[in-house]
Amino acid sequence: MDVIEISNLYFRYSKREEYLLKGLSLRVRKGELLAITGESGCGKSTLLSIICGIIPHIRKGEIEGEVKLFGREVRDMAIRDISKEVGIVFQDPDSQIFLPTVEDEIAFGPENLMVPREEIGLRIERALKAVNMEEYRLENPNNLSGGQKQLIAIASVLAMETDILLLDEVMSQIDEDGKDKIKRTILNLHREGKTMVIVDHDIDNLSLADRVLELKSGMLREFKGW
Amino acid sequence: MTREHNLDPRTKLVIVLCLSTLGIAVNNLALLSAIALLSYVAASLFRANLKRTFRKIKSLIYMLLFIALVQSIFTRGEPLLSAGGFAILTVNGVERALQFILRMAIVIFSATIIGTSSSRSIIQGLVQWKLPYDIAFMAALGIRFLPMLREEIRDSLVAIQLRGIDIKNIPIKERISLYSYLFNPLLVGTLLKAERLSIAMEMRGFRAYDKRTSYLVLKFTKLDYLIMFFSIAITAVFLIISYM
Repeated sequence: MDVIEISNLYFRYSKREEYLLKGLSLRVRKGELLAITGESGCGKSTLLSIICGIIPHIRKGEIEGEVKLFGREVRDMAIRDISKEVGIVFQDPDSQIFLPTVEDEIAFGPENLMVPREEIGLRIERALKAVNMEEYRLENPNNLSGGQKQLIAIASVLAMETDILLLDEVMSQIDEDGKDKIKRTILNLHREGKTMVIVDHDIDNLSLADRVLELKSGMLREFKGW
Repeated sequence: MTREHNLDPRTKLVIVLCLSTLGIAVNNLALLSAIALLSYVAASLFRANLKRTFRKIKSLIYMLLFIALVQSIFTRGEPLLSAGGFAILTVNGVERALQFILRMAIVIFSATIIGTSSSRSIIQGLVQWKLPYDIAFMAALGIRFLPMLREEIRDSLVAIQLRGIDIKNIPIKERISLYSYLFNPLLVGTLLKAERLSIAMEMRGFRAYDKRTSYLVLKFTKLDYLIMFFSIAITAVFLIISYM
C-alpha cells in the first residue's frame, strides 16, 4: 500500500519565475525508509513541506499536480488532520524545542491532539525509550547536547504516533556521536515498521535507507552516486 | 533541571500581585521600605536566585539610580542642598527618588518569585485560571525569545569584534551607527526563528482544537490556600494603614 502518492507535481514560490519542482512523481510504501538527497537549494525541504501540508497551508506558493496521504489530497486536509498522520522533524532542534523539561516537550503534541492524560504518560515513556533517553525525562532541554536535543525533537514527534515520519536534514548540525545515536534510532523505528522519508545532502547519512532518490532539476531519479 | 519551588505557581502569582499592588498604591516611605523588605524575605524564602538576577540587571540598576537622581534634582520643594540660591536637592525630590527605588526593588524581588516556577507550570496555572491556552503559550514564548535575542546580539557583537573592531574603544557616534547596522539582521534572524518555531508548533497540532488536554495538572494544597489568605490579608492591612 502506498501511503504517500505524488504525481506530476509542479511547484514554485510566489514571486519566482522558475519552478523548483517540475513534474515530480513519487510513491512511498507503508513501512518504507526512503532517502532523498540532492544539492543545497534543489527543493528537498520544499518537497517535505508539501508532503506534510506546510505548503500550501502555512507557506504560500503555486502548486500543480496531486499530493496524497493515504489516498486523501493534502491541500483538502486541515493541518490538524495532517498532524495526526505525518510528523516532521526539522534541521535546527533549537527552533523546535521550547518547553522547560523534556517531559513537557514530548507531552506538547499529544496534549494538542486531546489525548487523555494517562495515555500521554504512556506515550512519553514509549517515545523516550525509542530514542534511548529515558533518564533525561525531567532534564531541561537547554542543558542537552545538539544530538540529544535532536533526539528529543524526534521523540516529541514520535509521541504523536503518526504513521509517517519526515526527517529534514536532522543530522546536519550534529557531531559524529550524535549522528550515530540518531541513525540507531531511525533503524529501530524502521524495524518497528514506521514509514519514514529522510532528506539529507550528505549521502553518508542515508546508507540505512531502503531506497535513495536524488532530486535534481526539479525531478526525482534513482541515486547512482555523485 | 529547573529550579522549582513546590508551591502552586498560581499562589506565587497571587503573592506577586499583592506585592506589586502595594508597591504602586503605597506612598509612605516607611511602609514602602517594609514592603520591599517583605518582598526580599519572600524571594529568599522561595530560594530565588537573587545574586544571578542582580548580575543580569546590573546595567538596569545603574539606569534606575540615574533616573532617581534626575527625579530628585528636578522636583521642587524645601531645599536640602543648594548652591548660589539654586536648590540642587529638595526634601520632596529625595523622597520621590527613594519611593521610586523602593518600588523598583519590590517589582524586581517579586518578579524573582515567579522565576522559581517553570514556564510550563506558569502556563498551566494561567490556563487553569481560564486564560485561553494559546494566549498563555504565546506569553511564555515571548519570554523565551528574550534570552534568545540577547544571545543573538552577543554573537553579532563577538563577530564584529573578531573582525578587528574594538567596540569599547570607538567613539560613541560610531558605536551607535554600528548598532544600527546590527538591527536589521537581528530582527530578520529573530523573525525567521519565530516563524520556524511556530511552524514546528503547528505541525505538532497546536491550536488544532479549541481545548487541549494537559499532562501537568496543578492542585492547590492547604499551604497554598493559607499563603494566599495571608498575602491578601497583609495587603489589606498595609493598604488600610497607608490610607488611614
